[in-house]
Amino acid sequence: MKERLFFPPVYMFIVTTVYGGVLIGLGTWANPRIEANQQFAFERAVLASHGLDQGSTAQLHQRFQDRFKEVEQPGFGTVYVLQEDGQTTGYAVPFEGRGFWAPIRGVIGFEPDRQTVTGLGFYDQSETPGLGAEIVKPYFRNAFDGKVIQSNGRPLRLVPPGQSTADNEVHAITGATQTSTRLEDILNDAIRRWQAAQDAPEATP
Amino acid sequence: MNGTPKTSRAILLDGLWHDNPVFRQILGICSTLAVTNQVLNTTVMCVSLTLVTAASCLTVSLLRHWTPRNIRMMVQTLIIASYVIVVDILLKAYWPQMSKNLGPYVGLIITNCIIMGRCEAFAGSNRPLPSLLDGLACGLGYSLVLLVIAVPRELMGMGTILGYPVPYFVDIWDPWVIMVMPPGAFFTLACVIWVARGLQARKEST
Repeated sequence: MKERLFFPPVYMFIVTTVYGGVLIGLGTWANPRIEANQQFAFERAVLASHGLDQGSTAQLHQRFQDRFKEVEQPGFGTVYVLQEDGQTTGYAVPFEGRGFWAPIRGVIGFEPDRQTVTGLGFYDQSETPGLGAEIVKPYFRNAFDGKVIQSNGRPLRLVPPGQSTADNEVHAITGATQTSTRLEDILNDAIRRWQAAQDAPEATP
Repeated sequence: MNGTPKTSRAILLDGLWHDNPVFRQILGICSTLAVTNQVLNTTVMCVSLTLVTAASCLTVSLLRHWTPRNIRMMVQTLIIASYVIVVDILLKAYWPQMSKNLGPYVGLIITNCIIMGRCEAFAGSNRPLPSLLDGLACGLGYSLVLLVIAVPRELMGMGTILGYPVPYFVDIWDPWVIMVMPPGAFFTLACVIWVARGLQARKEST
């Protein structure tokens, strides 16, 4: 039997069918969960940009649904508006761009004045652990809280640690110059595009 | 493989020490270098690899009487790939953050020479139970080396172990940035191979 010419293809066919079937089954079963995970990572980043990311998965998901409204900003894309009793109490602006190893994707939060930053949240990054990846740590993200973007020059600046920081300056990460400068560019690019989109005549926020 | 079958104890000891996949056979170096900058990532990688190796060896051994010689490599690759995909899906579904941290390296377990090496060298010609044991032993041998590399890398590079700050290393020690960068892995691996082979050589000469 084993020596017959037809046996190897048939054998391979059977093994492939069995394993393929099992994997397809597993994939179909797990896919909704995987997609939900990705969606949740984004929702948590939006919440984190306003310091609202404390709580269980279910609580965070509910909070995102209750508090944030998706608004299409012509010329920019989707912006999330934080609302309380019908009043706008903040904005969450998604950003993305090339990091040191792979894209960095996140959300930056603003007060209703659109000038004062409330914080940062990240939902996708592959920077070096211990160096560039420190950007996701609260101490770095919280440093943005209360910073005011500047209208001329670079809206936000990352300056070397040890220096004193101005209103629009945050300490960069030691040993992760590439990540820091790239993140600065990504943030400023998103901020400028968002501002330009608001200033455009047809924009009615 | 030929002659008298090895005892379970011998299989375990070979995988862990005498014939350790990393520092004796120098297999699976790619992931050894890539995922050892944080102990937690390393641990998950080790568990994944050990499970895949053990399951693949068991399956290859179970099918060894039916698998035609000329297509055995295809069958092995298929089996290994399937188990890796299972691990990948489970990580993505239940531990998305870890899946993100390990990046492409979970998928690359497929190409880890340790697994195919053990399937070819041992599981293809041995009974299922010893094969399972051999797979486990080699997976653990790999894990042992990875952890030995990961602990000093995270400690000296970041001052933490499993993310928890270690006294002295967080405050007084100035972190060696190079330890968490790729070159740090080369230095540490070289030291581990040096020490391990030094110990083995001393044992052999006595």
